[in-house]
Amino acid sequence: MKIAVCVKQVPDSETRIALAAPGPVLDRSGFTRVLNPYDAYAVEEAVRIKERLGADCEITAVTIGPDRAVETLKKDCLAVGCDRAIRVNEPALENAEPLQTAKVLAAVLRRGGYDLILTGKQAIDDDSAQVGPMLAELLDCAQATVVTKLELDEGTFTATCEIEGGAAIVQGTLPAVVTCQKGLNEPRLPSLPNIMKAGLKPQETLTCADLGLEIPAARSRVTTYTPPPPRAACRMVAADDPAAAARELARLLRDEAKVI
Amino acid sequence: MPNIAVFIEQSGGTAKKVAWQMTAEARRLVDRTGGEVWAVILGDAAAAVDAGRHGAHRVFVAEGDAFARYNSETWTRALASFVASRHPDLLLVGATAMGKDFAPRLAARLDAACVSDCVGLAFDGGFSLRRPIFAGKCYTETAIDAPVAVVGVRPNAFPLLVDGDAGQGRDATTESFDPGLDGFVPHAAIVETRTSAEKKIELTEAEVIVSGGRGLKEAANYRLIEELAAAMGAAAGASRAIVDAGWVPHSHQVGQTGKTVSPKLYVAVGISGAIQHLAGMSSSKCIVAINKDPNAPIFKAADYGIAADLFEVVPALRAAIQALD
Repeated sequence: MKIAVCVKQVPDSETRIALAAPGPVLDRSGFTRVLNPYDAYAVEEAVRIKERLGADCEITAVTIGPDRAVETLKKDCLAVGCDRAIRVNEPALENAEPLQTAKVLAAVLRRGGYDLILTGKQAIDDDSAQVGPMLAELLDCAQATVVTKLELDEGTFTATCEIEGGAAIVQGTLPAVVTCQKGLNEPRLPSLPNIMKAGLKPQETLTCADLGLEIPAARSRVTTYTPPPPRAACRMVAADDPAAAARELARLLRDEAKVI
Repeated sequence: MPNIAVFIEQSGGTAKKVAWQMTAEARRLVDRTGGEVWAVILGDAAAAVDAGRHGAHRVFVAEGDAFARYNSETWTRALASFVASRHPDLLLVGATAMGKDFAPRLAARLDAACVSDCVGLAFDGGFSLRRPIFAGKCYTETAIDAPVAVVGVRPNAFPLLVDGDAGQGRDATTESFDPGLDGFVPHAAIVETRTSAEKKIELTEAEVIVSGGRGLKEAANYRLIEELAAAMGAAAGASRAIVDAGWVPHSHQVGQTGKTVSPKLYVAVGISGAIQHLAGMSSSKCIVAINKDPNAPIFKAADYGIAADLFEVVPALRAAIQALD
């Protein structure tokens, strides 16, 4: 079985966005960057499948990103059990929209003939949650999104997908694109010796030209980044008597805020 | 003059609230710019009778056995057929589990622009779509450079039309369209849908949310949150800390690695206000914080605060709310 895991390096969830006024660019320098947390479930799931199947399974981690993304491939993918890594380095794709990303990833994936393509349910920077389903369409294969349980059988899969108020059980044929949700597994941490050894695993760096691909055109463009709407200062309700405070809060919510 | 198509998600003939929120907002827009609002229904056409009241000019329906149960690929094909034959400028899709599952796939099939989870829709010669990124730490305005865009819309971002609004209260014409599914067999299908045993209000659709955090001290005390939520007709949420501690399932988690929510009222109980939690709930219209520590960052994000012991305040608040009715 050949598994591909598509990953993205993102600013970590503690990142503060310092944006004083609306503007055409967002200063992304100085962010601490990590593996997208949902992609970690995808990497872990791939490694667990390989552990079950043994040597008859190869995992390729794929990313699009600048040189700094090498660290994510090495530490968070190769050092925890992926066998090889492919990075597309194309400065024109910095802040690409999801369809551009999906087209480039699809070109990489078509070369490999993968049975299973795993990725996170969304990246926590632009929160688009688009690349997984787009890949499935571009590769004309099955999809299962927001998956919390995955079972594989001979050429088929069964996935438990999180939906409003419950779960949908999706069955289909491989190849398939599966987007991973928290709860699927508990990602392991890389050990220091494995981080050291990760550098010895095969890593390939490509451009769109290497893939025989023109850089895909964007279909949309961010014109303005704006800070969230400001909030008025918090109105503190006197709390000397908790019961009275609770009554006063209920009154304010009904009569002033008109939300209950 | 833009024509805006709206996908009407429904179950058993009843449309999801977000569907009519989208037709309402689209109607408000085309009443200024010209153009029409088209409601698009797959399967049970019963929801069509409500479409006019909610702002649609026309309803397009594709019926058939293929729509008995949701399928990513079937929905993608059928809606791509609709777009290819009718050429709307936008197709709005609710940012629900279903909408998020097929909308990107549809955009890829159409080679269209795709913008997720929008909370604002403007037109000035071209469309501009407002949406949060980094779970709400920042917003973007996105311009469309394609003949058609598939646009996800966040539930509760837009109000419904109310009696007396322009565009409300008239009948929409209904016509059928060919979904182009002859001989199509999808690669995968939903074989079973499981609903949670308890009938709970879904966080992303709730108008009121009560969330608990570390301040609850132990898992058993989460019932305080559930009881207050029940009294308020609210959904029960949680901070990452207590989800990671195993007190409540991840489906309750609000924040950058959980759900991003925009209810009318968000009540944060015993939550200190880590940046990744604030990111997930700061677009709520009204925020209440109850926390013993008056210096907790949650108060900076809140509209109303009580700095006191939650174990005293929460039961009192439940009683006070019940006493209002």
